[in-house]
Amino acid sequence: MSNNNKSTGHDHVSREQENGNSRRAFFRNLGLIGATTAAGGAAIYSGYQYEQSKPNHDFVKVLTSDNRLVEVPRDQIKNIKVDHNQLTKLGREGLKGHRFVMVIDLSKCRNARKCISACQSAHHLRPHEYHINTLIMQESQNTAPYYMPKPCQHCDNPPCVAVCPVDATFKRQDGIVLIDNERCIGCRFCIAACPYSARLFHWEEPVMAESDKGKEYNIELNVPQRKGTITKCLFSSDRLREGKLPYCVSACPNGVYYFGDENQDAVTNGTSKETFRLSELLKVNGGYQLMPELGTKPRVYYLPPKNRLFEFKDERGQEKETT
Amino acid sequence: MIKRYLSLLIIVLISLHLSAQEWVVPAENGARLSPFAFSDSTRKAGAELYNTNCKSCHGDPGKNNVIKLVPPPPDPASAKMQSNPDGALHFKIAEGKTPMPSFKNILSSVNIWQIISYIRSFNDKYVQKTQTKPGGSGAAGENAKIKIAWLKETHQVQTFISATKEKVIQPVAGTEVKLFVKRYFGNLPIDEARNTDAEGKALFSFPKDLPGDSAGFVQLIVKLSDEAAFGEVKADTTLAIALPTYRPPLNEKRAMWNVVQKAPIWLLLAYTFSVLAAWGFIIYVFLQIRVIYRAGIRKDQ
Repeated sequence: MSNNNKSTGHDHVSREQENGNSRRAFFRNLGLIGATTAAGGAAIYSGYQYEQSKPNHDFVKVLTSDNRLVEVPRDQIKNIKVDHNQLTKLGREGLKGHRFVMVIDLSKCRNARKCISACQSAHHLRPHEYHINTLIMQESQNTAPYYMPKPCQHCDNPPCVAVCPVDATFKRQDGIVLIDNERCIGCRFCIAACPYSARLFHWEEPVMAESDKGKEYNIELNVPQRKGTITKCLFSSDRLREGKLPYCVSACPNGVYYFGDENQDAVTNGTSKETFRLSELLKVNGGYQLMPELGTKPRVYYLPPKNRLFEFKDERGQEKETT
Repeated sequence: MIKRYLSLLIIVLISLHLSAQEWVVPAENGARLSPFAFSDSTRKAGAELYNTNCKSCHGDPGKNNVIKLVPPPPDPASAKMQSNPDGALHFKIAEGKTPMPSFKNILSSVNIWQIISYIRSFNDKYVQKTQTKPGGSGAAGENAKIKIAWLKETHQVQTFISATKEKVIQPVAGTEVKLFVKRYFGNLPIDEARNTDAEGKALFSFPKDLPGDSAGFVQLIVKLSDEAAFGEVKADTTLAIALPTYRPPLNEKRAMWNVVQKAPIWLLLAYTFSVLAAWGFIIYVFLQIRVIYRAGIRKDQ
């Protein structure tokens, strides 16, 4: 027992001694570490300062919205996130004080298909997915055939909007009928209701689904497209917002399309960029609408295929005859 | 089989015939020359204009990547294009000939000369001849100015053109003036192009039924056609001379297709009534069951 006590007493003393030594050592070490830390920190900080102050040579090429290629320093780039809700709200309201109309001159169409390809590349569609159908028309056996581009008619009394159960398709104040693919449930009531067969349904994954992944949805462009929802002609409302003519209208090489504002009584030809008075153009050329008897009040007018500028060449028809 | 070959032959012949058709340029247009010397800056501006307006069909100059059309659009670096005099190129770009579109309403005369300067940069042998006297006849004067006035009684727009000639500001007689009204996608020509009289004045009758904004304001644009003499001269002003027009938004009225807040009143009433009626009936049935239940209890007692 006593032996044990002794030994513990000895241990106690030696530990105290050790502790005293180690405390001194500790403070010594602490001073050393502190000094080195301060010196190192100062070195890193001065290096950081130098990095900040030296001119940045790392540039990135950026294409601006007015189509200029400019270089900006990489560290100056800020990623801006488009306010999605604001975009959708603006897209639903439309442009104030306008009533957009389209006039299609059938005497000038020769099925060049430029309108279709411009539309498909803008809206990310497959080659067989049409917002504009170019129909080969022949009223009866003895009448002359002609081509008829048929986009959505953007009716003022739209049956498609009336049947939509979820308010996904809607009419704006400027007359354009749009679709919100984020609301659409894919019931296809609107396809059944539309007398002009202007709408199409994405049965399969859209063509650019991979590359469009994560992209902000633009209600005025319907991009990215969504499987299981509807898409149709949008009168290129994203371009109208910028004061530009729709994709199809400006792509046409033959002057088929006129586009303008009914409130201003003016339409501009997409090819020649000449502006005409809408009322006069329709009056002089005998403009008409598709199936007005249905009371849909379309916003697309047609000029009859009189004095055609191009011969009607139906490759398919010729093949049929020769074989 | 023979039929097929025959039709192929006819198609080839027709296309040859089409491409063989000459594009005739009037002599006075063909002899026109650029009012300015081609330089790096005009070539740069021309290249930009070329890329937005011409490239889709004519491809990159010298790379022979033109679009497949009949007749094919010539490559700008080719001998076929370069053999044209400057004036002929200007005329062809401005006027167009199917399938080449006309660019006179899309590009200004100066812009077309800039494109020509770009096209010529692919020809090493080209030596430019510039107009010796910018001013065509020389009598037109410099620094042309346009004044616009509104004649209310006759419903006409009067324009007055003046220019500095021999260091004196004088009216310009006999020059062509055009009046436009600004619309959303382009400028609407008003009346026909007029020539100024001896006092430098030109009158345009303004249509009475042209819609303006809600207060009748329209933006007028006056341009001089003779860009070779004066350069691009333009004046614009906003006047309350059109028909005041206000058309309500197209989705303002109550309609079957409109949002719930703007549904027809009869529809809202009919819907509310039928929902109330259905629930009312269900509640009535439950009340009746309660009455029967109560009656049963009373009978037992």
